[in-house]
Amino acid sequence: MMTEFGSSALAGYLIISGILFVIGMIGFFVRRNLIVMFLCTELMFQGAAIAFVAIGRYLFDYSGQVMVIFILTVAAAEAALALALVVLLHRQRNTLDAEVYTELAE
Amino acid sequence: MLVSRQAFYLYSPSAVANRGSWTYLAPFRERNLTFTRKQLILSMDLLLPYIACLMLALFVYLALRPSPLTMRIGMIVAGVAAAGWLVGLVTGAVAESGDSTHDIFFLIFSLSAIGSAIRMVTHDRPIYCALHFVVVVIASAGLLLLLEAEFMAFALIIVYAGAILITYMFVLMLANQADNPDELSTQTTFDQLPREPASAVAVGFLMLCLVTGTVIRGSSSLPAPNNPTDQWNTLAHLQKQFESSVLDLDPSFMWPPVASDQGNLIRHDGDGAFIISSDGVRLLLDPELLPQNTQQVGWSLVNDYPVSLELAGVILLMAMFGAAVLARRSIELTDQEKRAAMSAHDAKISNERGTDS
Repeated sequence: MMTEFGSSALAGYLIISGILFVIGMIGFFVRRNLIVMFLCTELMFQGAAIAFVAIGRYLFDYSGQVMVIFILTVAAAEAALALALVVLLHRQRNTLDAEVYTELAE
Repeated sequence: MLVSRQAFYLYSPSAVANRGSWTYLAPFRERNLTFTRKQLILSMDLLLPYIACLMLALFVYLALRPSPLTMRIGMIVAGVAAAGWLVGLVTGAVAESGDSTHDIFFLIFSLSAIGSAIRMVTHDRPIYCALHFVVVVIASAGLLLLLEAEFMAFALIIVYAGAILITYMFVLMLANQADNPDELSTQTTFDQLPREPASAVAVGFLMLCLVTGTVIRGSSSLPAPNNPTDQWNTLAHLQKQFESSVLDLDPSFMWPPVASDQGNLIRHDGDGAFIISSDGVRLLLDPELLPQNTQQVGWSLVNDYPVSLELAGVILLMAMFGAAVLARRSIELTDQEKRAAMSAHDAKISNERGTDS
């Protein structure tokens, strides 16, 4: 049986998840290494997962945890595709520097 | 300077969704007050959280810059101060629950998650970034344990730290190269220089201020939680477990129980959940009989989201195909190269036969 979980406790968890999300976002903007940029998106997924579970816990609703299962799915799919792309790009230019690939858009 | 009514909408998503209700503004309208912008900022209990956000932003910004030792020490002090402030804030919020063990673990897990997240973003070696991310995953799994989501906590560790991070490590070791292959160090210059750190930190922490403001001020206008007794419904659906646990509790119970007028097998009153047998015996159900976290999540997954579950499977399959197609490389060989390769192969085989005999 679940115990009491007030809205002030929920606020603590939501702030932690917001901090993790924002740090991941800053990392995505700031880093130049392609692989580390994708790692930072995983950090943003972590923040989202904590927020889902905390709100589900507050509402006595297990859908929050089900959403985390879908987040895991999307993260795994993203990791597989992004890393395949990174391997492909690395073969062409022999570097992981994101700046080098800005010409690809032209 | 007066703040327009529109500006208030920024702080309350529920008010945006439901413009007629003015839920958030109700206390202000009752007192019939008009706020200037300065009063609005100072009167709120948000000043402390905003300062904490600002200090955290300063810390992240300083941590992103390559700096000499003195600067580094100042950075650590600023970080500790910001973290302490934030912790005081968060514990102030959590302390109302009155559970000190929970608070201590919450502190440990959230501090280690934030600290290693910052270290991960600022570290100039990608391998260490991945390792710091493992710490973040373990710490947030701890947070999920505190939220009584045991299944998701261990799934997070197994899938994230065990599978996804290993993939990242593989690719990092495969692709990471130094600028100069003769050097022993594998560090590259582009890993050490951040790109536009000031504007990135500014944008990020503006967003964090918005999130913090919304969370702290909006937590009073949250929807009411579901009735916890809804969890018994899952047990009524798990028929075999229901029957065996009831018969364990009371072997003389006449199975099956009678449904109420609303069609519920399990009914509730002030004492808790109970069932009534066909001969009118009332049996109080022990809360121990509630399905475990894993059962509840599994039931919610297949009962409420069957289509999403199928779609998740399709997404994984497509990702597997895509990765295989993308990473595949066909090697174009001219006829001459093929002949050379064939003859080298033949020579090798005949050489091996020669050594055998």
